[in-house]
Amino acid sequence: MSFERIERELAILGEGCQIAQLITSSGRTLVLYRNVPTSGPRFSLPEVTDVIVPVPPGYPAALIDLAGLPVGSPFLPRVKGGQNNQGTLEADGRLWQLASYHPHNGGGGPPWDQTRYGFHTYIDHLIAWLDRLT
Amino acid sequence: MVRQTHIVSTSRVPVTVRMASPEFDDLCALVFRRYPDLEWASFARFGWRETSKGLVITLAGLDAPAQGDLDELVGHVKIAEPYTLRTALAAEGHPLAVGIIHSHPEGCRPQPSSIDDDMDGYYGSYFEDFAPGRPYVSLIFSKIDDELALSGRVRWHGKWLQVGRFAIERTPTRTWVGGCRPADGENARERTARLNAAFGDQAASRLRRSTVAVIGAGGTGSAAIEILARAGVGRIIIVDPDHLDESNLERVHGSTPEHVIRRESKASLARAHVMSIDPTCHVDAYVGALPQREIMDAVVTADVALGCTDQQHSRLALSDIALRYLVPSLDCGVMLEGREGKVSGQILQIIRFLSADACALCRSLVFPVRLAQELMSDEERTQRRIAAAAARERGDDPHPYWHEEAQLNTVGYLTTTAGAMAAGYVIGWLSGRFDPPFERLQLNLAGKFLDVTDFEVIPRADCICRRVRGWADQASADALISPPLHWAPPQAL
Repeated sequence: MSFERIERELAILGEGCQIAQLITSSGRTLVLYRNVPTSGPRFSLPEVTDVIVPVPPGYPAALIDLAGLPVGSPFLPRVKGGQNNQGTLEADGRLWQLASYHPHNGGGGPPWDQTRYGFHTYIDHLIAWLDRLT
Repeated sequence: MVRQTHIVSTSRVPVTVRMASPEFDDLCALVFRRYPDLEWASFARFGWRETSKGLVITLAGLDAPAQGDLDELVGHVKIAEPYTLRTALAAEGHPLAVGIIHSHPEGCRPQPSSIDDDMDGYYGSYFEDFAPGRPYVSLIFSKIDDELALSGRVRWHGKWLQVGRFAIERTPTRTWVGGCRPADGENARERTARLNAAFGDQAASRLRRSTVAVIGAGGTGSAAIEILARAGVGRIIIVDPDHLDESNLERVHGSTPEHVIRRESKASLARAHVMSIDPTCHVDAYVGALPQREIMDAVVTADVALGCTDQQHSRLALSDIALRYLVPSLDCGVMLEGREGKVSGQILQIIRFLSADACALCRSLVFPVRLAQELMSDEERTQRRIAAAAARERGDDPHPYWHEEAQLNTVGYLTTTAGAMAAGYVIGWLSGRFDPPFERLQLNLAGKFLDVTDFEVIPRADCICRRVRGWADQASADALISPPLHWAPPQAL
């Protein structure tokens, strides 16, 4: 696990006032993005939500994939892949559901390039994901 | 003020200094610019890695002297204070260790003089103020009997450590520990008489004091290991995570059905095979894989690393090791292609990774999806295969979940050919007798004239491989790959 790299990426997010933390739960390492903006108000939903993203084994060699929302989140039925459960996990005292969201793996984003992308750029995909609610 | 420093350095902590082109060539041009009679010097930046057994220092760059930084009027090295201060202030802006490399006149041993003791005593504490917690490195270059004679010492955690070994990319070198002449090599051995006759006794002696790390002890690796052991390589590091199964018997050298019954590890089998060939060869065998920390610790001490796993993560790790730790590497793989019941391709590939070469990413040698699948846990692979099947049933694209890769078929004569060829190029490097004349060699045993191809790639200007060459652990945030947490811990045999 390249903790140094992830910490560096999270620090870049911090410079832009996006809070994100590296957390470990049940042997899995995850990045928890706090208060990611959404287009929720259009649907009378919250303006922000927390999102978790698993750190892939071998990172940064392996691509970042998936995104998780708290189980029962009103966003789950409205985000892309939210109804296609890719597993649940416990982290930060909550239960999370991983959605079938694959921006770097044929899901509409650019192919993975570890020299350009990371958790600091994945935020863009999360914002887009939470903006395109249905 | 005349200082009276007498430095006593210890060899209790093994220290290896690694260098590579182009920095090493630039360094030699600099420190020998007033040769053969007069000395010269340069400050330099170094990466380092503290391993479980010692310290590995890597030359990352030169802070070459400008005009007036060194006194041209004296024969020895006299450094102007602004040059020292400039180097120290620069160190506040980078994470690397600082050191000085100077020459002794031709024929003079690279043994530190009392002036050198004074200089190192002063600089050792001076740079500690600007670069706290980092090693201070002092190296001496000389030429004796037309050979480079190198020595050095490192101040680390308040102690002076002798450099026990220099490993210079593609340049056989003799280390004068503490400035003392190294013992003559043992007499030429009858067992390598043909190789000695072909390459010379000096080459045999170089092989004897060399270390090769072989990553993967399957079909290709076991062939390479056997060739290296028979050629008289002094130390072989063997790494493989797997245990033998029956299908390996067709390819793995030294394997028998008994080994399969015992489920012997491939690393253990390879070690026993080497010892049966040459009991004097020192073998370090590990059940594990790159880039696990313990495996990295071992591989960064090798003169050359040879990748024989034909796996994406191993290739990427070797590229990273060549880049950050200056370990010249070759990675080889084989593949059989078939069509309509006929074998149409028997492809063999050997990829060279030198620190200045384009990295595996620049050369598009890794496929992100395949690599990600290699690195997944068995549990995740199963989940994703199930999700892919479900997607297929829904009429959706299954590829975001799982991309089925065809098994790479291979046969023993092909893996043996690849392993033997790669070992041959390693022998060429270690002996200084020849160089692999390619960046990425590909040939097809089923092709007319073997369809030999070389792929040369210019590094991408914005790639991290242009920034962190020789930075060792100081660029750990730029490591190309990290070991998955679900891998079993490595085991030293």
